[in-house]
Amino acid sequence: MQALKMLLRTWRGGQLSLIIWSLVLAVAVVTSVSILAERIERALTAESSSFLAADLVVRSSRAIDPLWIQEAERQQVRGARVLSFASMVYYDANMHLASIKAVETGYPLKGLLRRTTSPFTSDIKLIEEVDFGPVAGEAWVDARLLPLLDIELGDEIELGEIRLKVTQVVVEEPDSAGTYGAIGARVLMNHSDLDAAGIIVPGSRVTHRYLMAEGASGADGFAGFSAWIESELDIHDRLITPDEAQASVAEAMDEGRRFLLLAGSVGVVLAGIALALASHHFAAGQTQQVALLKSWGISASRVRSLYMQQSLWLGVGGSLLGLLVGYGFSEMLIYVVREWLPISLPIAGPRPWITGMATGLLCLGGFTLPALWHLPTQSPLAVLRQDVQVKPVSSLVRGLFGVGAVASLLLWYSKNLYLSLAILGGFALTALATIVIGLALLRAGKTYGQKMGSIWRLAASNLWRRKSQSIIQMVGFSGAIALLMIMAVVRTSLIDEWRWQLADDAPNHFLINVAPYELEGVRTMVNEQNLETAGWYSMVRGRMTQINGQEISEDQRDRHESFRRELNLSWTQDLPEGNELTAGEWWDKLDLSGDIAPVSLEDQLAGELGLSIGDQVTFSVGGLVFEARVTSTRSLNWDNMTPNFYFLFPEGLLENYPRTNMTSLYIPPQQKLLVNDLLRKYPTVQVIELDKIIERIRTIVSQVTSGLEVMTLLILSCGVLVMFAAVSLSMSERLQESAILRTLGSSRRLILGIQLVEFTVLGVMAGLLAAIGAEAAVAMIQRFMFELPFAMHPWIWLVGPVAGGLLVGALGVGYSRKAVVQPPLEVLKSL
Amino acid sequence: MIEVSNISKQVTTTEGTLSILQEINLSLAAGESLAIVGPSGSGKSTLLGILAGLDLPSSGSVSLNGQDITAMDEEGRAAVRAQTVGFVFQSFHLLPGLTALENVALPLELQGDKQALQTAAYYLERVGLDHRISHYPRQLSGGEQQRVAVARAFACRPTILFADEPTGNLDTGTGEKINDLLFNLNKEEGTTLVLVTHEHNLAARCGQRMVLAAGRQVTEGSAA
Repeated sequence: MQALKMLLRTWRGGQLSLIIWSLVLAVAVVTSVSILAERIERALTAESSSFLAADLVVRSSRAIDPLWIQEAERQQVRGARVLSFASMVYYDANMHLASIKAVETGYPLKGLLRRTTSPFTSDIKLIEEVDFGPVAGEAWVDARLLPLLDIELGDEIELGEIRLKVTQVVVEEPDSAGTYGAIGARVLMNHSDLDAAGIIVPGSRVTHRYLMAEGASGADGFAGFSAWIESELDIHDRLITPDEAQASVAEAMDEGRRFLLLAGSVGVVLAGIALALASHHFAAGQTQQVALLKSWGISASRVRSLYMQQSLWLGVGGSLLGLLVGYGFSEMLIYVVREWLPISLPIAGPRPWITGMATGLLCLGGFTLPALWHLPTQSPLAVLRQDVQVKPVSSLVRGLFGVGAVASLLLWYSKNLYLSLAILGGFALTALATIVIGLALLRAGKTYGQKMGSIWRLAASNLWRRKSQSIIQMVGFSGAIALLMIMAVVRTSLIDEWRWQLADDAPNHFLINVAPYELEGVRTMVNEQNLETAGWYSMVRGRMTQINGQEISEDQRDRHESFRRELNLSWTQDLPEGNELTAGEWWDKLDLSGDIAPVSLEDQLAGELGLSIGDQVTFSVGGLVFEARVTSTRSLNWDNMTPNFYFLFPEGLLENYPRTNMTSLYIPPQQKLLVNDLLRKYPTVQVIELDKIIERIRTIVSQVTSGLEVMTLLILSCGVLVMFAAVSLSMSERLQESAILRTLGSSRRLILGIQLVEFTVLGVMAGLLAAIGAEAAVAMIQRFMFELPFAMHPWIWLVGPVAGGLLVGALGVGYSRKAVVQPPLEVLKSL
Repeated sequence: MIEVSNISKQVTTTEGTLSILQEINLSLAAGESLAIVGPSGSGKSTLLGILAGLDLPSSGSVSLNGQDITAMDEEGRAAVRAQTVGFVFQSFHLLPGLTALENVALPLELQGDKQALQTAAYYLERVGLDHRISHYPRQLSGGEQQRVAVARAFACRPTILFADEPTGNLDTGTGEKINDLLFNLNKEEGTTLVLVTHEHNLAARCGQRMVLAAGRQVTEGSAA
C-alpha cells in the first residue's frame, strides 16, 4: 500500500501526467479500434446473413440428404430447403418458362421478403416486408409475369399437375443478389406443393439449397453443426458463407478494417514513443528521491520493489482508465457515423478489453520499466554530491526492450507480418537516419550558425551542446511525423480508390436477354430518358459438349455448373476495358484464318474447368456445332459494373447464330419507372437491379470513411502527445538557462527567438527525416497490404519539414513562454 | 558512539590518484556534538558521507554504535542507517510533490510506522510549522523548508544526526533560527550531532571541532 500511496502523491505532484496520458492513450487507441472493428465485423456478419437469407447455405445439384435435416433438428439448428428450377407456367393459352423457387416454411431464415399487391410500384408505402414465404396453394410472382401471361392478382396459374393462386407480387428476395442466371420470371411457391405438382422427376435440372441459421442451441451449437455439415459435403455440394454472398461489401469493409488496424498500430507505436520519452524524463527526476530514500536506509531491493509495485499500479490503473477512455472513443466514433449506420452494432466481446489491458501492461514493461531499472543502484551519496549519478540502462538495451514490446504488440494486434515489419522498418529507418543525418545536420548548423546573427548562433550552438538530447527529441519528432504521414497517405489512397470504384454514375442496372427485334425499341426507350448505356453487347447462348474430343462426363457436369447450362458467348475486336491478359495472345497476334476458332477465357473459370492454353473445346449453339481452341485467358474487373464475358471470340464467327443483346446503364432513382415501362412492354427482357446493392456499398464506404476521419484525429492526438513528451524532455534545462539569461538582462525577444529557432530547426530536420521513413513504409504497406501500385508521394517531402517546423516550433515556444512571463526567480525556484 | 580509525580516501582520475582524506581519527560519545570545518574542497562532505555510511573509505574503519560499517555490504549499511542515522542537507532535499506533513512522514511510513502522520505533525509543531503542514515546498520560504527538513530528520528519532551545511543556503537571521532549533532539539532528544559548516559561530556551539585542510586533520578537540 505504501507504493500506491507514493504513486498517488507523485501523480498529485504532476510528475506522472505524461506517463499516464501516454499509457491511457495507447490503451484507448487500441481498445477503441478493437471494439469498433469487432462490432462492425459482428454487424456485418449479421447483415450478410440476410443477403443469404441464412447464416450458411449448402448449394447442391442433388436433393438435400434427409439425414442433414434430422441432424439439424437434433442439434437445434434452424433449417429450410429451397429448390430452384425452370418450368413452364400456363394461363389459358399463354405460357412462360418461369424461374420457380419452392421454399419450405421458415424461409427466409434471415432477412426479409418484400412483396406488394400493386404490380410495378416503386412506392415504398405500398411495399410490405415479411419474414415468411407463400403458403401451400399460393404463388408470389414477378410483376412482369402478369403481362406475360395476361393475368391479374387472384388468378390461378397452372404448374404441372396443380393450380396456384397468384396472391402477391415479389419485389425483392433477401437472397436474390447473385441470381444472374435466372432468365424467366420468378414464381415463388411453397415446398409442400412440389409433390402434387409432379414436376420434379429424376434427371430434372434442379438447384437444391439448404439454408441454415442459429437456433435454440445458440452460436456454439451452430458452429458445431457447421463443422459437422462441412465434413458431410462432397463434390456435388458447395458451402456458401455470408462473406462470399456479399463479396463487394466485404471487400470495402475489409480494407476499412485493415486501415483501422494500421491506425491502431500507428497509435500504439506513437503512444509507445511518448511513453518511452516520458519514462526517461520521469526517471531522471526520480534519481534524487531514490538517493534520499537510500540515505534513510531503504535497501536497494526495497527501492526496486517499491518502484515495481508503483509501475504495476500505474500499469493497471492507467490501463483501466485507458479502457474507459477507449470505450468512450468508440462510442463517439459510432455516434459520429450513426446517421449512415443502417444497422445497430452488436456489443463487442471480451477480446478488445483483453487486447487493451495487455497493451497497457506490455507498454509499461517495454518502455517504463527499462527506464526505471537503474534507479535502485543510485548511490545514496548523491544526496551530498550532485556529481554522483547512476548511469541509466544503455539506450541500446532500452531500445531493444521498446522495439521488442512494440513488435510483439504489433504482431499480436494486427496478425499481419508485413504491416508490423513495414511500421517497424519505417520507424527504424527514420530513427537511424535521424541519428546519422541528424548529427551531421546539427554539426553543419553549428558551423554555419557562427556566421549568422546572435539568435541563430546561440540556438545552433545550444542544439550542438545538447546533441544527445537533441537527437532523442528528433527521433521522437521524426517518428511521430513519419507515422502520421504514413496514415495520411494510406487513408487518402484508400478513399480515392473507393470513390473511383463507386463513381456516382456507375451503371446500376443490367438489361439482358434483349432480342434483336426488340433492340431498337429498348434503345429508343432508354434514349428518350436521356440515359447512357455502357454500350450494347451481343451474345449467343451455347453449351460446351466436348473437351479435347472427349464428351463432357457426368462427373464434370456434377462438378461445375458451366458444364451443365448454356453459356453466354460474345465477340469483340479489341480487349475490353478493364480486362487484362494473364496468359496467351490476343487476336492481333494470332493467325485467325484456320478452321478452329480462337477463344479467350476468364482465367479463374479456366482454372475451375481445368482448361488451359491450347485445349480444344466443342461448342453447340442451337444444335450447330463448332470447334474452338483456348488461345488466351483474361482477368476481369468486376468493380466497374460494365458487361463482362467469360468466353470471348473474334468478330465474324458467331454473328450468324441466334443472338440476344445486353448492356448496363445508370438509372437515377427518379427515372426508375423506366424499368417498369420496359418490363411491361418487353416482358422477356430481364433487368438486373444493382442499385440497392450499390447504394449499400456506398453507404458503408461513406461510413468507413468518416470512421477513418475520426480515427485519424485520435492518432493525431497521439502524435501531439509524442511531441509534448519530446519537448518537455529538455524543458527544465531550457527554462533554467532562459531564467539566467533573463537575470542577465536579455530581452524577451532574444530568449523566445532562440527557443523558436531551436525548435523550428529541430522540427524541420525531423520532418525531412520523417519523409524518408514514411516513403519507405508506405511503399511496403501499399504493396503488401492493400495491393496498390507503388507511387512516390512528393508532397510528403514538402509537408514533412513544413509541418514539422511549424508544429514543433509552436509547441516549443508555447512551452517556454513561461520563461519570459514569470519572474526569473520564480522559474528557478519551481525547477 | 562514533569511532573512526585511520580512514583515508583516494579517487582515481585521468590525471592520476587524488587523495581526498588522509588518516582521519575521531571518537565521539553519545549525546556529543562535532563540527567539521574547513575551506571548500578540504574533504568535509566526503568525511561526512563516510561517517554516515553513505560512502566507503579506501582504508581505515568506522564504527557506529559499536558496529563496524566499513566491514558491511551496502544492504548492511542501509540497515544501520535506517536504525541510527538522520540527515539535514544544505539543499533541503524535500520532495516537491509532497506536502510538508507528507515529507516528514515519508521515512516513518517506509519504516512501517502506523503513527507516521501523527508523529510528523508533532515534529512540525515543534519546529513551529503546525500552520503550514499542508503546504508544498514551493509554497514555503527557504527557512521554512529547512525547518521541515529538520522535523523530518528528528521524527525518525535517530541516535546520530548528520547535518551538511544546514544553513548554507539561508540568510544569517534565518540561519541562526535554524541553528537554535537544531541544537535545542538535539539536546531534548539526546542525539549525537555531526555537522559540516563554514560558520564559526555554529562550529563554536559544538562540543568538538575538527578542522580539515586539504584532506588532513589539522586540529581536534573541544570547542573553546
